[in-house]
Amino acid sequence: MSSLAAQVAEHPRFHLLPQTHQLKALMTIIRDKNTKRSDFVFYSDRVIRLLVEEGLNYLPVVEKEVTTPMGVPFKGVSFQGRICGVSIMRAGESMEQGLRDVCTSVRIGKVLIQRDERTATPTLYYSKLPKDIADRWVLLLDPMLATGGSAIKCAEVLKEAGVKEDRILFINLICSPEGALHMLEKFPGLQIISAEVDEGMDHRKYILPGLGDFGDRYFGTED
Amino acid sequence: MLRSAGRPPWYAPDGKNYDVYMVGVAGGSASGKTSVAKRIVQALDVPWVVIVSMDSFYRKLSPEESRQAFLNNHDFDHPSSYDYNEALRCMRDLKQGKATTIPQYDFTKHAPSSESQHVYGASVVIFEGIFALYDPALLEMMDVKVFVDTDSDICLARRIKRDVTERARDPIGILQQYDRFVKPAPTMNNADVIIPRGLDNEVAIDLLIKHIQRQLDARSQAMMRPALMPETNQLRAMQTILYDATTTRDDFIFYSDRLSRLLARFSGRRLAPNVTGVTILRAGGVMEKALHSVVRPAHYGKILIVGDPTTHEPRLHYVNLPPSIGHGQVLLMDSTVVSGANALMAIRICLDHGVQQENILFMSLLATPHGVHAIQAAFPRVRVVVALLDSHISEDNLLIKAGYGIFGDRYFGTEC
Repeated sequence: MSSLAAQVAEHPRFHLLPQTHQLKALMTIIRDKNTKRSDFVFYSDRVIRLLVEEGLNYLPVVEKEVTTPMGVPFKGVSFQGRICGVSIMRAGESMEQGLRDVCTSVRIGKVLIQRDERTATPTLYYSKLPKDIADRWVLLLDPMLATGGSAIKCAEVLKEAGVKEDRILFINLICSPEGALHMLEKFPGLQIISAEVDEGMDHRKYILPGLGDFGDRYFGTED
Repeated sequence: MLRSAGRPPWYAPDGKNYDVYMVGVAGGSASGKTSVAKRIVQALDVPWVVIVSMDSFYRKLSPEESRQAFLNNHDFDHPSSYDYNEALRCMRDLKQGKATTIPQYDFTKHAPSSESQHVYGASVVIFEGIFALYDPALLEMMDVKVFVDTDSDICLARRIKRDVTERARDPIGILQQYDRFVKPAPTMNNADVIIPRGLDNEVAIDLLIKHIQRQLDARSQAMMRPALMPETNQLRAMQTILYDATTTRDDFIFYSDRLSRLLARFSGRRLAPNVTGVTILRAGGVMEKALHSVVRPAHYGKILIVGDPTTHEPRLHYVNLPPSIGHGQVLLMDSTVVSGANALMAIRICLDHGVQQENILFMSLLATPHGVHAIQAAFPRVRVVVALLDSHISEDNLLIKAGYGIFGDRYFGTEC
């Protein structure tokens, strides 16, 4: 692991999925360029499910007592506060179903950010967010965190909509150390949940070793 | 002379039927051309009509001409003031049913503006301007040519009012320009129809509209009926749940997913194994997994179209289609079809990417007959499959009157 990657992994607001053999095997399949598309979709859906489940662990809970069918009280917890998902189009939409599988009627906002060819800056093209998003915890969905350009723009859009920074959980499969650090520094409240931290990026700002263009592989739009 | 002999050509050189109907509207300055054009659009009541104003094609002035223009000494009402090549380029694109970019003119600066307007291909195009019936190549493309002939006193009064309020000119300058340059109508001879008294002449306008309607009807071929799902009790029960304003989001998602699956299965026998699924976002996106329950396409495309909040015109925000899309069948999906404008735009985009019309299957949960008709009138070889038909559109919000409201808002929880 490079020192930068180690720095990310140590960061208190960065949460790496437990590096189990299962996760490593799943990630190996989706990183393999010879994996066929149906497998790519199936196995990345599995990783996404794990990520969403992990993300929910960082939401606050309150103590709650219930009575079991045995007539015995049980001291447990329940989630405090409401959540919503926000996916960064197009690739982030692939993570919506994973969230729905866990929270069936969750509200989901969408944001489209594209690079403005003239200025090379990420620009907001479209956003549709739940009206009461300011009162919610937000699971921000985008599978790959490379430079962080779109994710940062999206977090800004969320903040403008009144979302508190420490209520944003950014969920991704793979991140570059530069992108993750940049994002954590830029938003001192935001948390990141990721499956793996990679080594860096190539000249086109694709993550290395990475898995290529997630959206193209998931939706089958590669050449 | 430029007079056209008889009817405009009905067929392109390759023998293919022209899809796009083109109307030319000319007339003296402030004679009411624009109002007549707008009235035609209103009365035709077909989606996808574009009005192109010749004002967009004023040519760039030389520095001397520009100086004169600011002194109100330049003759804008002269045929040489226009860039016909540019106009011809735009109109040729539109005539072929293609998208085009139309330049914009800045009247306060007497110069073409740096901005231009992107216009999608239309089924009817109206070209209006003082010299709309001047250029022979443009005349050649028009299916009907109209001249609006209004009394010159009325024209002058209108012109003063318009130029002062809309184009920031002063009245003295307008009079000076009018005196010097406004010409008697030189292109009236090229018209098929002359409308005296402009918009006030309701009889003439009505006749004209009926004529255009007849010609449009004659052109639209025998249409295929949409494939409707059989109206079972199960379908009606699901419709009732989705239409109920008190249905929880949980149930709304569950039943719309179920309906989507049934619809996908119903379309299933028409689907090729190598079909590409294309969803019209946001709301059509939810139908992707329903398709997945019937066939597993290797490729998915996405098109994001958003209605302009004030004009309700569809705006294209994003397209991502697989490069192989032109080779096989495409299943285009949207949750709801009201006017059909979004569907028409999406179909056009698919055609632009090389998809054959007969290879497109359009699938929707809820549609108006009007919307389905619009799709089939514009693209007779596209097959349409619909789960629920509902005919009444509410005037104030352009939603289907009973209907389930805004599908995307209820599904994604973004309602007000």
